[in-house]
Amino acid sequence: MADLLVILVSAIFVNNFVLARFLGICPFLGVSKKVETALGMGMAVTFVMTVATVVTWFLQYFILIPFGIEYLQTIAFILVIASLVQLVEMVVQKVSPVLYQSLGIFLPLITTNCAVLGLAVLNIQKDYTFLEGIVFAIGAALGFTLALVLFAGLRERLELCAVPRSFRGTAIALVTAGLLSLAFMGFAGLVKG
Amino acid sequence: MKLRTFKGGIHPPENKHWTSHKAIEDCPLPDEMVVPLSQHIGAPSVACVEVGQHVAKGQEIGSAKGFVSVPVHAPTSGEVAAIADFPHPFGTSLPAVVIKPDGEDSWLSNLQFTDPGSLTSEEVIEKVRLAGVVGMGGAAFPAHVKMSPPPEKPIRTLLFNGVECEPYLTADHRMMLEESERVLQGVSLLQYVYGAERVVIGVEANKPDAIALLKKQCADTPVEILPLQVKYPQGAEKQLIAAATGQEVPSGGLPMDVGVAVHNISTAAAVADAVMLGRPLIERICTVTGPAIKEPKNLRVRIGMPLSHLVEVCGGFVEDPGKIILGGPMMGFTQVGFDVPVVRGTSGLLLLREDDVTKAAEGPCIRCARCVQACPMNLLPTAIAAYARRSLVEETEEYCAMDCIECGSCSYVCPANIPLVQSIRLGKAAVLAKKRKALL
Amino acid sequence: MIAAILSLGCIGMIAAVALGFAAKKFAVEVDPRELAALEVLPGINCGACGFPGCAGYAKAVIAGSADLNQCPPGGAEVVARLARILGVEATAAARQIAVVVCQGDNQRAQLKYRYLGLEDCTAAQKIADGPKACPGGCLGLGSCQQACPFGAIEMTADGLAVISREKCTGCRKCLAVCPRDVIRMTPYESAVHVLCNSHDKGAVVRKYCQVGCIGCHICQKTVPQAYKIENFLAAVVYEQDAEAFEAIAKCPTKCIRDFNEGYPAGSTFLPAGNNKSDAA
Repeated sequence: MADLLVILVSAIFVNNFVLARFLGICPFLGVSKKVETALGMGMAVTFVMTVATVVTWFLQYFILIPFGIEYLQTIAFILVIASLVQLVEMVVQKVSPVLYQSLGIFLPLITTNCAVLGLAVLNIQKDYTFLEGIVFAIGAALGFTLALVLFAGLRERLELCAVPRSFRGTAIALVTAGLLSLAFMGFAGLVKG
Repeated sequence: MKLRTFKGGIHPPENKHWTSHKAIEDCPLPDEMVVPLSQHIGAPSVACVEVGQHVAKGQEIGSAKGFVSVPVHAPTSGEVAAIADFPHPFGTSLPAVVIKPDGEDSWLSNLQFTDPGSLTSEEVIEKVRLAGVVGMGGAAFPAHVKMSPPPEKPIRTLLFNGVECEPYLTADHRMMLEESERVLQGVSLLQYVYGAERVVIGVEANKPDAIALLKKQCADTPVEILPLQVKYPQGAEKQLIAAATGQEVPSGGLPMDVGVAVHNISTAAAVADAVMLGRPLIERICTVTGPAIKEPKNLRVRIGMPLSHLVEVCGGFVEDPGKIILGGPMMGFTQVGFDVPVVRGTSGLLLLREDDVTKAAEGPCIRCARCVQACPMNLLPTAIAAYARRSLVEETEEYCAMDCIECGSCSYVCPANIPLVQSIRLGKAAVLAKKRKALL
Repeated sequence: MIAAILSLGCIGMIAAVALGFAAKKFAVEVDPRELAALEVLPGINCGACGFPGCAGYAKAVIAGSADLNQCPPGGAEVVARLARILGVEATAAARQIAVVVCQGDNQRAQLKYRYLGLEDCTAAQKIADGPKACPGGCLGLGSCQQACPFGAIEMTADGLAVISREKCTGCRKCLAVCPRDVIRMTPYESAVHVLCNSHDKGAVVRKYCQVGCIGCHICQKTVPQAYKIENFLAAVVYEQDAEAFEAIAKCPTKCIRDFNEGYPAGSTFLPAGNNKSDAA
C-alpha cells in the first residue's frame, strides 16, 4: 500500500513527466494558453494513458513475451495508442465540439506524445505488477494534467504583463517553463529513486 | 482608545487647514444664475416655466419625471431669461433654466412652519420629495427614494455621514459646528420615518470640536456620536457601514440589504428645512479652497451660481489655475472652464496651481500590490485595469469590476502612475454595454 | 515470425473493428465543403463578417445563411473560391477601405483641455466629450491603430490617425472603436475626400481648426455633381467623383485631399502608382 502511494507521489510531483522527465513538451507548450483547454487536454491524455497502460501490460506479458516477439514492443504499443487516440478524438468531437476545435491538431498528436509511449515502456522497464502499473499511469496522467494546468494559469497571467518585444510569445513561455521545472525540483529527495 | 475603521484605505494629506477654522459666509447673488434641470441621479426634470415668466425664490421651475427624480426650484426671485442647453459640471451641455435675479430675493408666499409631530411618515417623505432633497455628500441620490425602502428590507441602523474624508473639504465640518440644531432636527425626523433601533452619527477624529459639540447636544438622546479613525475613504457609505456596524454590504447590493440607511448630515439639515419650513433645497455649503485661490472660504452658495462668481467672491486667483475640480481631489469632477454652475451635489471647488498637478508618464505594472492593499472594497485593481484595457469583458466582470466605488485609492498609491480608476471605469462601461446588448 | 505477423495482425483487426463500431456510434455530420471553405478563408478571425471567426463564417456560407462577399480581408479572390466550392456564380462587392476624415492634428486644431490620462480615445471622449475643441475631430490617441489587425493605421507625430489605402482590408474594426465616428468607409476607387467631420458653422470651425470645412459651397460650385453640402459640411459624392479633384485648389481651408497625390501632413505612407487626376 505504501509502495503504491510512493509510486503515485513520485509520478505526480517528484518525477513529473513533463517537468522532470521532459516528456510531452509538445502539448505542454501548444495547448497551455487557456486553462479550460489545458484541462480538456489533460483529461483526454488521462484516459489514453490509463487505458493504454492496461492494454499494453496485457499485451506485453500475455502475447509479446510468451511468443518471444518483444522486439515488436514499440510497434505494437503505438498501434494500441493510435487506436485509443482515434477513439478519444471521436468521443470528444461528439461530446464537446468546442473543445475539439480548441485542441485542434494536438488531439491526434497525442498518438506521438512521448509521454504516453514513455509511460507504457517505463511500466515494463520497471517490472511493475498490474496494480502498480495502473497507479503509475494514473499518477503520470495527473502529473501531466497538473503541469499543463499550472502552466496555462501562468500563461494567462503573462498575457497581462508588459513583456519585452524580443521575449514575447514562445520565448517567455519557454523561460517560464524552465522556471516551473526548477520549482518542481524542490520535490527532489521526497521519495527515494 | 482604538477608533473603529475599515480594511484598506489611504492617508492623503488633509489640507483642511485652509478653511476648517473659517465660519460659513453668505455668498452674494450674481447677475445671472443657471439652474440645470439635471442635478441628481435619476431622470432629469422637465422645465415647467416659460421664458419671461417671473418666479419667486423656491418656486418649482422643473418638475420631477418618474419616481427616481426630483423637482428643481428657483434659487432666488427673478425673471426666467432662457431655457436652453448650458455647460454642466458633467462636461457636456445639458438643459438649464437661466434666471436673472431681481434683487428682492423673496420666498414663495405659501411657505409655512409645520410641526413635524403632526405628520405621518408618508407625508414627511412627500415633503422631502417636493423640496427636491438629494444626497448632499456629492452623489445626489433622491432622498425620498432612499427613505422608501421596500417593506421586506427594514432599516435597523440609521447612519449619518459627518465623516467628510475628502481632503480640502470642510463644508460638513462647519455645518456640524454652526448649524447642529438643524442637523439634529433632521436626524430625529429621519429616525421618525425609518424607525431604526440604532441611530449613529459618524465623524472622523480630525474634527474634535464637532464631536464634542454633537456629543453634548445628544447627551440625553439615543443618538450615538461615533468618532472614526481618519482614513480615506471612511465617508464612502459601504466603508462607513463596515466601521459603524461591522457588516459588509453584499456584492451588487445596497445598504438596505444589511438593514442600514446612510444619509449625509447636510442632507439631514435639508430634510429639516423641507419638512418643518417647507423650504426646497436651493442652497448648500461649498468649500472654495486650494493653493490657487486668494481667500479660501466656506461659502453658503445657491444652486445656479456660476463658478466664476464664487472665484470672484473669494478674491480671485493667486495665479492661473492648472486644474479646476468640483468636489474633492480624490473623486471630484475636473472642469474645463468656469462657466459651469453650482449644483446640489457641489460640496467644494478646488483650485490647484500648475505645479500641483502630477504629470508623470505611465510606467509598467510591477505587481507591487499597493493598490490591492489600499482598495477598501477588497478588489484587485491591477487585474481589473489590465483586463479592462485589453477589452477582456468577461474577465473584467469576473474580477468584480462592478463593485468598485471609484474612490481613487488605487490610482493614488500606484508608484507607476497607472490610471487605474480610469481603466476600471472603462471596464465597467464595457460590462454594462455587454449586459444591455444581451437584454436586447 | 508467424507469431509476430499473427499477433500484430490480430491487434490491428480488433482495433479496426472496435473503431468501426465507435465511428458509427459517435458519428458527427461534418460537411466536407465546410472544411474546404475554411481552407480558403484568410484565417485571421477578425470577425468583420459578423460571425465568430473564420470557422463560423465557413459554416454559415455553406449553410447558405451568409453571402459570399462578407469577408473583406479575403477580397475578390476568396469570393471566387467560395463560389467554386458552392458551385454558384459570384460577384464581389466593390472594395471598400476606411478613411479618417480629419486633418486636425495638434498643430492645426485647438484643444479644450490638456488630457493627462489613459491613452485611449474612448476613455478621453468620456471626459467632457474629448480634449479636442472640435466635436468631430480625431483625438489622436491611437485606439484605432491598436484595433487594426493589419497594421494599416499610423499615428502622426502631431496626433492624427492616418490609414494606408493599400494595407486596409475594409474589416471595419477601426470604425467600431472610434468614439468620434471620424472614420468612414469609402470606395477604394475614390481617392478624393473632404477631410472634416464637423457640422458646426464656418465661423465656429475657424476658431478651433485651421483646416476644417466651413461649408462655403465653393467646391460644389466648382464641380456641382461631385460634392454635396449637409449642415455646413461638404462631402464627396463618390458615385460621380471623376472631376472632384478640380475643386481641391479652390477650397479656402484646404480640407479636400486627393490621396493619390499624397497622404495628410506627417504621414509616412506613400501613394500607390496610379494617379486618377492624370487620367482626365
